[in-house]
Amino acid sequence: MLQFSKFVAVRAALAILTLVLVSFIVFTLMEMVPGDCAERYVAFKNSQGSVITPEDIQIERVRLGLDQPYIQRWGSWIFNAFQGEFGDSCILRVNIAQLLGQKFWLSLGLCLSALLLAYAIAIPVGILAATSKNAVLNNSLRLVSYLGLALPNFLLALMIMLFSTVMFGNSLTGLFSKEFRDAAWSYDRFMDFLGHAWLPIFILGWSATAFAIQTVRALMSDEIGKLYVTAAAARGVSGRRLLMRYPARHALSPIINSLGFDLNRIFNELPIVALILTLTEAGSLLIEALARSNDQQLAGAIIFMLTASIVGINFITDVILALTDPRIRRSIVG
Amino acid sequence: MTDITNTQAAENQKLKEAYFTAGQGQLIWQRFKKNKSALVGAWVLIALILSGIFAPFLTPYDATIAGRDKDYLNGAPQIPQFWDDNGFSARPFIYTYERSRSIKSNFRWVTVVKTDLEDRRYVTFFAKGQEFKFLGMTFDRHLFGVDRGFIHIFGTDSTGKDIYSRTLTAINTSMAVGTIGVMIAFVMALAIGGIAGYYGGKIDAVLQMITDTVKTIPSIPLFMALAAFIPDTWSAEERFFFISMVLGLIGWTTLARRIRTHLLSERNQEYVLAAQLCGASSSHIIRRHLLPSFTSYIIVDLVISFPYMILSETALSFIGLGLKDPVNSLGVMLQNVTSADVLLNYQWYFIPVIFFIVLVLAFVFVGDGLRDAADPYSDSK
Repeated sequence: MLQFSKFVAVRAALAILTLVLVSFIVFTLMEMVPGDCAERYVAFKNSQGSVITPEDIQIERVRLGLDQPYIQRWGSWIFNAFQGEFGDSCILRVNIAQLLGQKFWLSLGLCLSALLLAYAIAIPVGILAATSKNAVLNNSLRLVSYLGLALPNFLLALMIMLFSTVMFGNSLTGLFSKEFRDAAWSYDRFMDFLGHAWLPIFILGWSATAFAIQTVRALMSDEIGKLYVTAAAARGVSGRRLLMRYPARHALSPIINSLGFDLNRIFNELPIVALILTLTEAGSLLIEALARSNDQQLAGAIIFMLTASIVGINFITDVILALTDPRIRRSIVG
Repeated sequence: MTDITNTQAAENQKLKEAYFTAGQGQLIWQRFKKNKSALVGAWVLIALILSGIFAPFLTPYDATIAGRDKDYLNGAPQIPQFWDDNGFSARPFIYTYERSRSIKSNFRWVTVVKTDLEDRRYVTFFAKGQEFKFLGMTFDRHLFGVDRGFIHIFGTDSTGKDIYSRTLTAINTSMAVGTIGVMIAFVMALAIGGIAGYYGGKIDAVLQMITDTVKTIPSIPLFMALAAFIPDTWSAEERFFFISMVLGLIGWTTLARRIRTHLLSERNQEYVLAAQLCGASSSHIIRRHLLPSFTSYIIVDLVISFPYMILSETALSFIGLGLKDPVNSLGVMLQNVTSADVLLNYQWYFIPVIFFIVLVLAFVFVGDGLRDAADPYSDSK
């Protein structure tokens, strides 16, 4: 037990350290882009008709604290970020935590469901592919997983959407029907949400599934060849019992370990899928923040939150692995 | 009878000798040749790359606005044929298309195809066309053209640019972005992975920490964050180099990790110790002894990471943050298919999508084949 709590403590410390590093990288990148918040805000006011002088920019800078040294600003940014506070958006002038709040959790929910879907399909199919000697099955599975890479999600999303527009006259876009968009959460709204959410979840899960099948298949075929499986088979264990009790359990831990990176991959797809399906409630805010307004405060916050959730998943999977596998508990850092 | 067996035995012996004395490159090639899908992938890939490089010659028109056909906007593909009701022709021909639009047709283009004998446009080979520069020389011959008017075998887009010409040029651009990105990623991975793996210990721990951190940040949102701040005033070339650089600067982590792991296991081998005892410097050992020990793995990894670069470029261009319309890249071509109008009326916009999918698939097949071939234990499985 002591060993386990020590493991968790070290892992938590490492996760926080990673987040500090991430915040440094993100903060530095956001600093490096041309122009700062004060200039953008003042330029925005300028477009509204008021006349702005360089002095005004300077005053705005002082008000936003942009005249303080770099390290100090980073320090206060990271300190606030850990409390879930990212300050105000450059352009929209709204508190970022409020602006993102629900949207972020919805996006995260979509991505996690996609991940779940991917493995729910990949684990049985992958095991089947690893054990089956059927060449047709194996080759077609290989083709599917290659297509998962070559047929990008945005193309798939587009095809399905256009197809449904033409066939059913319903474009399947958005996450809510009109009447539920601003309503409070209720049973009806939740069902409406589910009715819309299956498409983004399916599309986000599509290439993740293809990758996951490859991983499961490779891990399983590595394990099946090992001596302990032969030994178990010699003792008379066979069929599904043999697969589940021996190689599958060994193959599982690398899979759990890589969940964080799978989530990373899904996050990569999210903004594009969101753009096509016009999920204004989720990832497309990112695109808006970035493409339309050059809002570095908001962009930084979004990237930080995405990365934080990946680090969080990595931490959770580490703990789960340590619970199930004593070897991992013993190696504290590795 | 015995003679035959003898010669066969001798031949077997020769084959065995050839196998045991073959260099690593030969062994990889031997194994690669056995993998049929990888071999097909390699041929397709070579064909696509060559057609990208020789695009100015293979395509009849300039891919930019200079090569537009202003009388054939959003025009359907014109397929050359050998015969019709007016009889057979040894030279392939297309018809003359006359298009008009007015209030009567609700301002949509109406195409009248003239199928008469005198309206045939014959395809000519090595036709004189617009001048282009290749390897510093100026040429004006194209692989094919027609004796009068224009030929568009993949149709035209909304500004009258030839989609066939654009597609081949786009392959070239996307490959160039990928190459620059992979090169930058490669150099960074070599430096960081090399240092981490060779020195080990604390340096390794710190560099691993940094690598893992960069790896955790989702790359497409980060690309978007960086690309969004490109000033509008930048030229197409500046944009192009910036995008390739960003792709490279974020894509190095996986390769760095592999190099580090390999170096960590290799640096305790006897031959490294021997070199150290001979007084060789660290950089000499890394360059002359350690890196050559896994060149093949590096090459394989580079091939595997190539499609990801192309996919990233496409994704960026697709959301409008990467390359933009006057430049022809596969991402820009894909962006053009996103409207319902295209799906319903102008399906030939999807032809570049096929090229894109085939290119990525070919890369993946070749990469997988190379990986299996470079693995010395793959035979035993």
